[in-house]
Amino acid sequence: MSIAALQSNAASNGASVALQGITRSFGETSVLEGVDLEISPGEFVAIVGQSGSGKSTLLRIVAGLDQAYKGHLSIGASKDQKTSARIMYQEPRLLPWASVIENVAFGLGPQATRHQAFAQARSALEAVGLGDRGGEWPDVLSGGQKQRVALARALVSKPDLLVLDEPLGALDALTRIGMQSLLERVWLEQGFTAILVTHDVAEALTLADRIVMIENGRIALDLAIPFARPRRRGAVQFGELEEHLLTALLKSKSPSEEYVI
Amino acid sequence: MSELALLAGRPSSRKRDMFVSFFRVSPNGFVPWLLPLTVLVLWQASASYGALPPSILPAPFDVAKAAWRLTLSGELLLNAAISFKRAFSGLLVGGTAAFALGLSNGLSRLSERSTDTTIQMVRNIPNLALIPLVIVWFGIGEEAKLFLVSFGVFFPIYINTFHGIRTVDPQLVEMARSYGFKGFELFRRVILPGALPSILVGLRYALGIMWLTLIVAETIAAQSGLGYMAMSAREFMQTDIVVLAILIYALLGKAADGSVRVIERLNLSWHPAYRKGARL
Repeated sequence: MSIAALQSNAASNGASVALQGITRSFGETSVLEGVDLEISPGEFVAIVGQSGSGKSTLLRIVAGLDQAYKGHLSIGASKDQKTSARIMYQEPRLLPWASVIENVAFGLGPQATRHQAFAQARSALEAVGLGDRGGEWPDVLSGGQKQRVALARALVSKPDLLVLDEPLGALDALTRIGMQSLLERVWLEQGFTAILVTHDVAEALTLADRIVMIENGRIALDLAIPFARPRRRGAVQFGELEEHLLTALLKSKSPSEEYVI
Repeated sequence: MSELALLAGRPSSRKRDMFVSFFRVSPNGFVPWLLPLTVLVLWQASASYGALPPSILPAPFDVAKAAWRLTLSGELLLNAAISFKRAFSGLLVGGTAAFALGLSNGLSRLSERSTDTTIQMVRNIPNLALIPLVIVWFGIGEEAKLFLVSFGVFFPIYINTFHGIRTVDPQLVEMARSYGFKGFELFRRVILPGALPSILVGLRYALGIMWLTLIVAETIAAQSGLGYMAMSAREFMQTDIVVLAILIYALLGKAADGSVRVIERLNLSWHPAYRKGARL
């Protein structure tokens, strides 16, 4: 399938996400102050920001893990009306007492019958290149392999929205690059909407259609990334944008952090 | 990988592996029994050369003869069976109550707040201190032993079940909820397996307390059982039977510990520390 065909496929399988005036405070501190954001079906959006800027809080709200917000959140169904959001965390969060394949089948929820779940889990594992490791315990896998199992678990139910909370943050540089291309490949193949929170501007530039920068609880920058896929890592045209984004990020240091030595 | 497999498959190195595992690694090997056997040999030798008078400590051979005699008369088996029955009914009653309360306090804050403080207070009473009161209540009947054993095994199982459930990784619980797991399914797939290592530690402690309590109770107030057998033998200065009973206690303790280890092996094979061949 050509990239163009894959991308049109992408548009049809994803959920649309709309946030209107999302506000979230913890006690006196308000973390998000009226965030408005529209994400089209099948879009890959990266959210960048300083630590403490509220990007993870925003992600948890979209994922349904945090209900105590004000404002309006709507996640539109794709054409087959699934609207299931799946989350990938920074840690793999695999059940240590379940084999790799059982962990992937876990992603189908409590209703799935064992036989059917295992068949689907096997093909999800194959999609992340771990088809032969299904019978092992998670703790014998490397960090990158565990994250691939977590990705398979998130994708086994064919979600139309995948939210990723710095899933590659704890991986070494090489594993990270491998995971980035894996993520891009499954996104192109399955066409879900993806929202990725990351610290890494280069990662955002490699993967995202759009980069949203959060600063002190507000959206400070919303930038479409025009480069065609597949993108070459470290391409010259990235340089200028990366510089621009990093400058913006560094300027957005929250006042409290400036005084930390 | 293939090179390693070849290496392991070579007969000479496999033989060496077996040798190593027999003497060093395998917990079922010969080495753990070396010390008890040496003690036994020294003991027999000093008894045979008259260094140990039989009224202080009978020779192992005499103890074995006593064991044989009591086995033939059926006395040993009968008393052991009675003790076993008492021990395990106490474990069943106390353990079930402790497990149920540990679960409910681990899962519900309300339940914890209404009972945990009380349990922590009662926990500090040594169960054997209750013997005088228990004799007043139940005499020396079966209820007395059942009560003492149940009371003794309750606390380790309660505390470890409660602690096990409370320390289940909250990140895993959040993950499971996000995949739609809740209620019993959440408990069965995530909370119980997460708490199991701790629950089994509690069971292991409880088994130790179970035998200890039962034997003390039988020694003080009983008309049958291993503790009674030892105590009545003392009255006739039959030290061989007293020593026999003590040796049986040692074996029972070892057997109880071994059985929990087997349960751990079967249920915790995912845990690196319990995997076969892991050194504990």
